[in-house]
Amino acid sequence: MKTLTVAAAALAVAATTLLPGAAGALDGQLLLDAVPTAALVQQAPSAPWMQAETTELAAQGAVSHTQALAEGLSLSGSVWALADTLPSGSPLSTPPAKLDLESRVLELKLTWEALPGTLIVDGGKLLIHPSSGFFRTPLNIISHAALGTTTNLSGSAVGTWEEGWVGARATLLVGNLTVSNFFSPRLDWSDAADSVLAYVSSRQPDYQDLSRVTLRVGATDLQVLGLVSTGGPGSADPDVHVTAGAGMDTGIGDAITVRAEVSAADSTSRLAPGSTQLPLAVVTQSVAWAPRALAGFTWTGADQLTVMAEYYYDGAGFGGSDYRQLISYSQALRGAPGAGPDLLDQFGTFSAGQHYGFVRIAGPVDTTLSAAAWTTVNLQDFSGLSAVVLTATFDQWTLGASFLDAWGTTDTEAGLSPLLWRVDLEVSLFL
Amino acid sequence: MRAHSSVRFLAPLLVALALGAGQHLAAQSPAQGPAESPSALLARVDDQRRVTDFTFVMQMTSFDGDKQVEADTIWGFIKGVGTANRSLVSFAGPASVKGRKLLMDGPVVYLLFPRTTNPIRLSPLQVLLGQASNGDVVRTAFSDDYDVDSLADDDHGGVACYRFTLAVKPTRTDASYRQVVLWVDKEHLHPVYAEFSTGDRLLKQATYSDYRSALGREIPFSVDIHDADNPRKHTVMTYLKVGHKPMADTVFRREYLPSWVPEQPE
Repeated sequence: MKTLTVAAAALAVAATTLLPGAAGALDGQLLLDAVPTAALVQQAPSAPWMQAETTELAAQGAVSHTQALAEGLSLSGSVWALADTLPSGSPLSTPPAKLDLESRVLELKLTWEALPGTLIVDGGKLLIHPSSGFFRTPLNIISHAALGTTTNLSGSAVGTWEEGWVGARATLLVGNLTVSNFFSPRLDWSDAADSVLAYVSSRQPDYQDLSRVTLRVGATDLQVLGLVSTGGPGSADPDVHVTAGAGMDTGIGDAITVRAEVSAADSTSRLAPGSTQLPLAVVTQSVAWAPRALAGFTWTGADQLTVMAEYYYDGAGFGGSDYRQLISYSQALRGAPGAGPDLLDQFGTFSAGQHYGFVRIAGPVDTTLSAAAWTTVNLQDFSGLSAVVLTATFDQWTLGASFLDAWGTTDTEAGLSPLLWRVDLEVSLFL
Repeated sequence: MRAHSSVRFLAPLLVALALGAGQHLAAQSPAQGPAESPSALLARVDDQRRVTDFTFVMQMTSFDGDKQVEADTIWGFIKGVGTANRSLVSFAGPASVKGRKLLMDGPVVYLLFPRTTNPIRLSPLQVLLGQASNGDVVRTAFSDDYDVDSLADDDHGGVACYRFTLAVKPTRTDASYRQVVLWVDKEHLHPVYAEFSTGDRLLKQATYSDYRSALGREIPFSVDIHDADNPRKHTVMTYLKVGHKPMADTVFRREYLPSWVPEQPE
């Protein structure tokens, strides 16, 4: 699969060389990570948990290019590849070939400004990412999970690498109004085919149609969006599903930006504890129209110091007595490893509850070095994750170091997380 | 989040805005004579430097003494004039910032990173800070923001000049500088030097030079701005290319930014 990536990069280089009027040169990024991690692991399904310290090594890279083909017509694309010694993060689950290789076409689209500045049509593989949230992104209702397996240094919900969706979009910009519609077909294939195609593109299990309307009112951007999706006849989920959302971005004075957004799906399924006593049991629940909402601001002070705070609510998460049951279940699971599935991480890391807060402070130390510290807190049990990050930026490369710590008692979400702490040393080289 | 750790890379933006939005027209007709009021003369200096739908490639080089601290290359487009301008800017170098795109429409500022489609809202202050505060120095449409306190004849570097002493208008409480002293070449109505201050304390000194004919105007291809608090630090902004390209008003939208393909001027 390395061949695929190299071939794609070679094509991009060739395009740069052969086609006239390049709008921008080939650019790329190579990221090298060394990630010492401490985590709780099991030697065997019924064995007790024990702390293991490992170091994951990973190299990731992406190459991008945008090519103007004619007036109003352009082709752009990005490819990404990863080599990772320990994608699972667990020393007990190493890649069969000692090195896990992944690659993906992140984006490959043809864009045509049919009416310059007014009507834009693009097709191919497109990134769809309407949310303004940093720590959580309620409006990214059809986003793929972030690619790459190493630590997210910044605490952001969106990783460095994103994969788009195959489809077509039309965008109309009139006055202060923007209307767009994106359609992506169902693209599914066999597991055998996926063993090859996964290096190029992820499956698309549903037909999806996303409509989005944004309106500029003064200095405020408002948006509403709606998604209709279905697996179609013969699929695992042939029902039609609807998701709706709305968001707002604005500023207060010269120093503050404010964002708020909410989305809700007609149904969200989750696994819930059926029994918190041995033998453990789980049940599948469906939550209708559970809202996900985010409100936050960023303040900029003197000397480029920024303070960001966000609050996130997830109606599909566990609250009240449901949350206490989840904690009891997870405590029982800690005492009887393998007795049931892990329910805490079913929505992603540190996302099982309903109420979360996030605070981040960042600023430059000098012209080269910047520092940041962030913490995210489960407001239901006051456990959390905290990190400090130092980044030195040079013209062609950056050097970053971070330390992430999970904190909380053993009856809390972070306290029950296998992750204890993680260090990330990262070198990023730019083409 | 690199959006917030990269503020220093936004520094050129307002500078570019300033230079692009207010080019000084060649003096088709210099001072009209003693009958012209100081305010009218200043307005003419401003009015004659209007270039709309302005595209450019600019090199921004910051120095600490003789040592170069950083150098950025940006491609940009500016629509409108003076403080009402709107812009799209793309970073062409160095490699660590290449591909970033920025939209500024008054207080609405969005930054887009390569390989993402989520423009991040920034506050105007995040763009203004650091070397970008130079943008205020050079973007000023003087007659929009300032009243003429006094006008005198003076000499600057051997050039016969008008020396305007300007005080911020009472309605412009958001202006960064309360007072500006501006030297304008009498023959061509070119600003050649300016001092920006709080009224009591000098903050910035700007030297406009290398006027060239382009787009039917006389454009200062170089502006050297010194920080009065730290005279060793200064930033030189140099146009590498300039051009004219009409674009629709609707391009200054968050949704357009991912589709925008920066182009060099013809």
